[in-house]
Amino acid sequence: MVIVRRRSIFDIFREYMEELEELADEIIERSMERPSWDTNAQSLEPLFNVFVRSDRVIVTVDLPKADPESIRISRISDDLVEITAKMRIKIRFEDFGVTHRKGEFTQFCCRIPLPVPVEVSEAKARFIRGILEVTFPRKRGYEIKVE
Amino acid sequence: MSGEEVRVIEYRDVPEGIRIVCGLPDIGLVGVIATAHIIYKLKLKEVAYVDADLLPPIVILENGLPKSPIRIFGNKDLFVLSSEIAIPSNIINLIVKGIIDWVWKKKAEKVLTLGGIPVPNRHEIEKLRIFGAASDETTLKKLVENEIEILQRGFLVGPQALILKYCAERSIPAMALLAEAFYNYPDPEASSVVIQALNKIMNMNIDVSELIEKGEEVRLAMRDMMRRTQTELMRMRKSQEYDVPGFYIR
Repeated sequence: MVIVRRRSIFDIFREYMEELEELADEIIERSMERPSWDTNAQSLEPLFNVFVRSDRVIVTVDLPKADPESIRISRISDDLVEITAKMRIKIRFEDFGVTHRKGEFTQFCCRIPLPVPVEVSEAKARFIRGILEVTFPRKRGYEIKVE
Repeated sequence: MSGEEVRVIEYRDVPEGIRIVCGLPDIGLVGVIATAHIIYKLKLKEVAYVDADLLPPIVILENGLPKSPIRIFGNKDLFVLSSEIAIPSNIINLIVKGIIDWVWKKKAEKVLTLGGIPVPNRHEIEKLRIFGAASDETTLKKLVENEIEILQRGFLVGPQALILKYCAERSIPAMALLAEAFYNYPDPEASSVVIQALNKIMNMNIDVSELIEKGEEVRLAMRDMMRRTQTELMRMRKSQEYDVPGFYIR
């Protein structure tokens, strides 16, 4: 006798989630397979993090050796911001013991996608201990009254 | 697959009864930075390396010669395990198991693993707290004697979790020293805090001033490794360390 197990909604959902995870992994891997530096632009891509809270989105960027005066945050589009900062000193590959590559770096540059709608114009930024923190209030929606 | 696929190859005889400090890649690369500093300060020599067919095809070139990215350094008294690559999440269990098998064969007197606990507002914290966990009651008492706050309840994910687990299974006294740290930024300050705790427990005197002074250089140099490590941490579901464990089993 052949027992045919019916796929429950949970199985379907699990499979769907697994597919999504694989896709996410692939996207991560593709974004990793490139250098974190650009010798033409003399820039390094800094590490960054995006925290989504219920009322705000907090973006932090690790900017060691950055000159705080030179930090620029600009809106590229509604869901993309660009952060640049000059370094206080020039960094060369040799500083990391790498001699087979030539080039020097004078700035940090990265573009950060914002995962949810925010009010870019109301953002606030501060620089503490070499970390830039930018807080964007999330877009407010239409309010529904609770009766 | 068995743990035997992981081999620790010694080029110098490693005696029995060793004390070993582990710094595997984890949040803030706290353990990696701390062990690199210890190796440098105590001028430890390379004594062994970890080999496994499962590892990605990587060597690290040092003066043109290939080296394993996971190595053990030491002198007569102290041994240090450090990795220069992010260890893939799908093989971390086997790698740590293999290493602990070797540590057990060496009849290790003590295993210490250094790392961090992620805190979301880390950049606002001036004085970092440190916590400890251990593989058995006696070792836990040693932490208390050294005034290290015990991580009473919560999840540990990744290398620290595995080191404590396998050491507990093999009855090897092990402790984890974990400082509050950035999740995905190299955190030399947190590394200095764990080294200071280690100094106290092991009665050593490793100076951390240079590590703090050169903090920005360290953060720059560790950027790429942090990026790779973050991807692996995500795959391990490291963020579960933020979770509050559910139903309380007493």
